[in-house]
Amino acid sequence: MSTTWGGGRIEDETFVSAEGEHGPYGIYPPTEDMLNEPVDPEVSKAQEDRLRRAWAAPKGWKVISAVNNEFVGKWYCLTAFSFMLCAGILALLMRVQLAVPENEFLSADRFNQFFTMHGSAMMFLFAVPMFEALSILLLPEILRARDMPFPRLSAYGYWCFLIGGIFVMSSVLFDAAPSSGWFMYPPLSTIEEGVGPDIWLLGLSFIEVASIAAAVELIVGVVKCRPPGMRVNLMPLYAWYVLVVGVMILFAFPPLIAGDFLFEMQRSFDWPFFDPERGGDPLLWQHLFWIFGHPEVYIVFLPSIALAAMIIPTAAQRPIVGYNWIVLSAVGVGFLSFGLWVHHMFTTGLPMLSLGFFSAASEAVVIPTGVQLFAFVATLMVGRVKMILPMLWIAGAMAVFTAGGLTGVMIALAPFDWQVHDTYFIVAHLHYTLFGGMIFPIIGGVYYYYPFFTKKMMSERLGRWSFWLIFTGFNLTFLPMHWTGLAGMPRRVYSYPGGIGWDLPNMISTVGAFVTAAGVAVFAWDLLRPKSHQPRAPRNPWKAGTLEWADDPNDEQWGVRSVPFITTRYPLWQQPKILERIDAGRYYLPDAQEGLRETIITSAVDARPQSVTAVTGPAWCTIFAAIFTGGAFIFPTFSWYLPAIISGAFAIACVIYWLWTSTAQVPAAPSKDVSLGLRLPVYVSGNKAPGWWGVFISMLGDATAFASLIFGVFFYWTSSPDFPPEGSAHADPIWIAGAAVLYALAWLFVRTARGVNRAGAVTTGRALLVAAPLAALGAGAALCWSLIALDPTSHAYPAMMWAVAVWTCVHTAAGVIMMCYCLAGTIFGKLTPRYDADLWNTTLFWHFHGTSAIIACAVIGWLPRVLA
Amino acid sequence: MSVFGIERSRSLWHLILAPTIWAIHFCVTYGMTAIWCERAPAASGDLRLWILIVTAVALAMILGVAWRAWRQWDYTDDYDYEHDGPTIEDRREFLGHAGFLLAVVSVIGVIYVALPAAFVGSCG
Repeated sequence: MSTTWGGGRIEDETFVSAEGEHGPYGIYPPTEDMLNEPVDPEVSKAQEDRLRRAWAAPKGWKVISAVNNEFVGKWYCLTAFSFMLCAGILALLMRVQLAVPENEFLSADRFNQFFTMHGSAMMFLFAVPMFEALSILLLPEILRARDMPFPRLSAYGYWCFLIGGIFVMSSVLFDAAPSSGWFMYPPLSTIEEGVGPDIWLLGLSFIEVASIAAAVELIVGVVKCRPPGMRVNLMPLYAWYVLVVGVMILFAFPPLIAGDFLFEMQRSFDWPFFDPERGGDPLLWQHLFWIFGHPEVYIVFLPSIALAAMIIPTAAQRPIVGYNWIVLSAVGVGFLSFGLWVHHMFTTGLPMLSLGFFSAASEAVVIPTGVQLFAFVATLMVGRVKMILPMLWIAGAMAVFTAGGLTGVMIALAPFDWQVHDTYFIVAHLHYTLFGGMIFPIIGGVYYYYPFFTKKMMSERLGRWSFWLIFTGFNLTFLPMHWTGLAGMPRRVYSYPGGIGWDLPNMISTVGAFVTAAGVAVFAWDLLRPKSHQPRAPRNPWKAGTLEWADDPNDEQWGVRSVPFITTRYPLWQQPKILERIDAGRYYLPDAQEGLRETIITSAVDARPQSVTAVTGPAWCTIFAAIFTGGAFIFPTFSWYLPAIISGAFAIACVIYWLWTSTAQVPAAPSKDVSLGLRLPVYVSGNKAPGWWGVFISMLGDATAFASLIFGVFFYWTSSPDFPPEGSAHADPIWIAGAAVLYALAWLFVRTARGVNRAGAVTTGRALLVAAPLAALGAGAALCWSLIALDPTSHAYPAMMWAVAVWTCVHTAAGVIMMCYCLAGTIFGKLTPRYDADLWNTTLFWHFHGTSAIIACAVIGWLPRVLA
Repeated sequence: MSVFGIERSRSLWHLILAPTIWAIHFCVTYGMTAIWCERAPAASGDLRLWILIVTAVALAMILGVAWRAWRQWDYTDDYDYEHDGPTIEDRREFLGHAGFLLAVVSVIGVIYVALPAAFVGSCG
């Protein structure tokens, strides 16, 4: 296991010569002698004072303006946990209703609201946000970065989640909650009276945007914020899982956002996307929903199993067996899980051959999923396992998840699925996978990481009580449901007749639900009970090997005293003296000379130091931005469009203020000493900058949403005989061609502006940055004008053309704002030929938007004429 | 061969090449079937031939990727499969190893997805 370094094999990486002030220069990697040299205690103390000042959290109630990952992560976790408790209470009420036949405890409508909200809240307000919450909390610590790359973005995401979550969840108290199931199938949901479906669509879209923001943040965190030396082959498995899940979110959530957009257009403005009378098709929603919905299951499962991948080596007190196989498994599952969505639609009458493809892919995903479970078992077999409490939960998780996986293999076969579709068998299956794949590992993870968050231990005794209550209660609830389902009981019925064999299993399930609830209550009490009289937990109480356990023993806010140089997978086991060197400030970035919050940016594959980036500090503008964004999403629920637009404008203003005052600031000096003989630039632009990666990753997600709309066009064409309908008007060819040309020009102008600005021709750059937004505005106007003869309420064809145009124009507006932001930057000295990150990011946006806008013009102006 | 100008041994893009081919194969097969069965359900014999061709092409491409990943892993050189050292060699062999395993899973995935076409004779 022992590894040596610095012995010549990695010497070829040394930055041998000074690259001037534009690149890193000095010595890398550090030699053992350099690391052995003691730090002068006086110097160290002065450094600590400066770091402490830079990272100080706001005091008192102002703490809500904090953006540190520790604060935001904890709030995020607790908020998600409370939504889970709410959704759990709904489940208990439903179980009371179903305990005996022909019960009148709940009315049918209220029961519908409850099951809809139970599913929606568990998925959107608990499972996915919990992954983001835990990752925001853990990832920087596992990577020993000072913070996430964009702390204010995580804070913004959190406040959006809180506002959106309260809005959606509280609707159940006003008897106004959505009631057509968590997947909102039209036509039931498009014709539903009341604001329920609107609350679902707008409230959850709002939260999905926050989820994507967190995904962007986490991907950039894994790719660019690893400590120096941590090559991809040394990355903790948690980071691999976060990377895979982050990318999955980028490809899974946007189709749902595109679907929500179409759906809300139908609800609000009667554009008939899902109305078969006017050329629409309800199945399009099912496709878009499940392209999101099935990967979502794995988005929930993988990060939870990632916790197992951290706990199991600790329990076995040895490195994980089959690291490469687990990476294969995570990446493989990430891909294959996108080929499964139609197995939720086996009964919709698709061609038999298509069903076969999805059935086969559903069976294939078992292979990579199984591989990681075998790797875990192998690690436990070759290690000396201590049955620590977190390990008990992981063991429970593996048992329950495997059972759920086996029923999954059964229902992936279409003929079996036809028998049990929409019965309690499915309810049993999905709860086995989600409880085993999510709840058990998460609770295990909470027990494991609690001493790390709070420096106190949770109770061993309560923990075991809680485990056995939940484990017994869970199986008591859901095991009989397999039988209830096979006996024919359908899902989502609020009552049932007695004497047909459903009475006893339902009663058992209800009892089991309350046993489970008792276990959850024990856990919640253990989590929240005051522990001030308890002794302080020792540092690294489980004797783990990964870096998060190098947390500072003195509750400091700075994240890590100095950023270590990593040469192994389990540094606390395999790199002697690493702890004392971190604490002494021997490693990188031990100081905050300028009083700024900073973290090190490294290269994506080999984690070579590239730059030091200032990260943002406490702010109110993020909270205001979240409140106004909330307004922009929530007001349209009640058809208050003017307040929504005003609120949206304020949100944009807040975001511009936040970016202008705190991101990509022109630095006082171009580079800084980061200790150990290395100097790093403090400002980079282009693909070395975290901001560029943030834009790139967001735009990948955005491109997926656009692709989903285009998929919609092709879907209508294949599924309906009259798309486009005969004799229908098409977009005006002249105007649409003009729009395409203007889009190309705007794109060309902004790209040229970047080049000439870099070359020093600032005035030419400004002129181009005036011309570019004008061309873009003209393009957007021409695009809409070309469709003026088409009535979107008449048929799905014009509606779809308008949807593509509206989508494109909204992006054009964002692109214009970005161009004007850069123009203002060059005028007010925020953007110079040397410091031009904003212009790089704007250009990158336009690479995506230019491409998609020209495709949109082709789809609107050219494609229908060919298809017709 | 390089993707985005990054050489194979230091590129995460190469790692996902094989499953990306799986994904494209999946979309093409599914799309082809959807259009064919909707527009010309009688001619499903041709459809199955096309699925066979697309599958053969995809498998050939994945095998190419697998071969290059195997070379990069260079297993028979020192029979190392842990790759937990801090060197460039470890990183190169790790990416080769993981890429090779992903190619194996992708081959299985492609064959699985194509199999229904061997058994199901019509659009039904």
